[in-house]
Amino acid sequence: MSAMVTLYHWEPNANSGKPMLTLAEKGVEYQSHYLDLLKFDQHQPEYLRINPDGTIPAMVHGDLVLTESTPMMEYIDDAFPGPPLRPSDPRLRWRMRWWMRFFDSYFAPSLSMIGWSIFIGPAVRQRDPEELRAAIDRIPLESRRIAWRKAIYNEFSEQELAESRRRVVFATDVLEAHLRRNTWICGDAYSLGDINGFNLGYALPLSQPERCNDQRTPHIMEWLRKIYERPATRATWSKGRTQMAARVKMLERSVQP
Amino acid sequence: MLELYHWEPNIFFLKPLVALAEKGEPYTAHYFDPTSFQQFEPDFPATDESSLHLEREGPVLVDDGTVIASSFFMLEYIAEAFAGPALMPSSPYGRYLVHAWGQTIALSVANAVAMLGCARHLAPTLRLRPSQDLKTRLASIEPLERRLAWTAVLDRSEADAAAAARGQLASPLRRIEAALTSSPWLAGTEYSIADIDAFAMLAPLPELAPELVNASATPHIAAFLARMHARPAVRAALALTRTGRPAHAFVPGPESARWG
Repeated sequence: MSAMVTLYHWEPNANSGKPMLTLAEKGVEYQSHYLDLLKFDQHQPEYLRINPDGTIPAMVHGDLVLTESTPMMEYIDDAFPGPPLRPSDPRLRWRMRWWMRFFDSYFAPSLSMIGWSIFIGPAVRQRDPEELRAAIDRIPLESRRIAWRKAIYNEFSEQELAESRRRVVFATDVLEAHLRRNTWICGDAYSLGDINGFNLGYALPLSQPERCNDQRTPHIMEWLRKIYERPATRATWSKGRTQMAARVKMLERSVQP
Repeated sequence: MLELYHWEPNIFFLKPLVALAEKGEPYTAHYFDPTSFQQFEPDFPATDESSLHLEREGPVLVDDGTVIASSFFMLEYIAEAFAGPALMPSSPYGRYLVHAWGQTIALSVANAVAMLGCARHLAPTLRLRPSQDLKTRLASIEPLERRLAWTAVLDRSEADAAAAARGQLASPLRRIEAALTSSPWLAGTEYSIADIDAFAMLAPLPELAPELVNASATPHIAAFLARMHARPAVRAALALTRTGRPAHAFVPGPESARWG
């Protein structure tokens, strides 16, 4: 397909990084539109014309608009030539999808709740309160309004944060056990499951140093470093503009955490 | 050999029964009752992945020893692994829509429908059991997320469940109604596993939440449910009921988003 690809994204991180790294692995050129999540660019009228939900990322391919990041990864592998990023064996495809759901709806929400309470909330709270209130009111999806309100006003209960910490520990251990038996998420071949997991977990050694390190989780560490060494990963993370994406450098083998 | 462990043809359990009938794929059926907790017994097929808690309770497909769990991913597996009708659209974008609908149904619809059905049908039957026995049984469920899902069924009133479910369902139902306004099937003009997936979770709503799904509020969803009910594969799947009341068979579903 020769129609142009445009990607609206933030930092190579979490949901934005998933299609960025997938496009890079497939060798697909795309026009990049960087939106600053912390400045609420994603809720501005010009972007809402692309994605009325105001969530990032969004991909436009010709006249098709895609707004769900994990299905978007499958689309990129499905619609473009280049190295296959999904196993052809349906049993392994099932495994890839199971792990992507585990990352997306179990691991990621807990990890991001901790991250937002520590980094994003305090960073955004510096702004003018009236401006912030108006910015929150512009968020189209109620679930996202609730999430931003909680992060900005630090409304996470100690119980919620404790449960998130418990889940991060549990999920880290499940992942370590899986990677002890498998080189990649689906076994022998690199796939969308690894791309998804890297976007979730590349900063784990920094954000959870006592849980994710060379002694406790050597297989996660090796898996992250191998993904970091891929040319597509280097190229994608070089598009980062903030300290958030720069955290990836701690995966250099010369860096002793 | 292909084996399917399933309960009554409703919600999660209905999906593979319909898809395998559409494919015309033969299999050995193992009927089990999740309310007697057979799925936690040591001889029930399980892997590290299937015993986790993403969908909570549901069907299990065993294909030559490989355990396939999680009902939407099971539908994708059935579509891709077996001969017969494709059950997937022919274009990459149509397939994207199938994946995106599967995500919406699992994350925004399944929890609410299971919560409503459990409050109406499962909780009253659980409450009839000797309470100490039941509490002891529930306390031994691993992992924690599944234990909490079962205890929540007992703790939640039907009114609370209805209020929570109404809030969760408003937006996805609007989207589904809008999609079915412009095409007969969820992913476009071709019938697919997205339709089987959505049908299995929406079919109980006209009875559980008639104010949300009915011929005047959601005419296109109502017509879609009727189209699905007319399919021979759906009739064959529903005929597998042993209780005669498949629409009353509920188990706890996946949890709702933790941030909301």
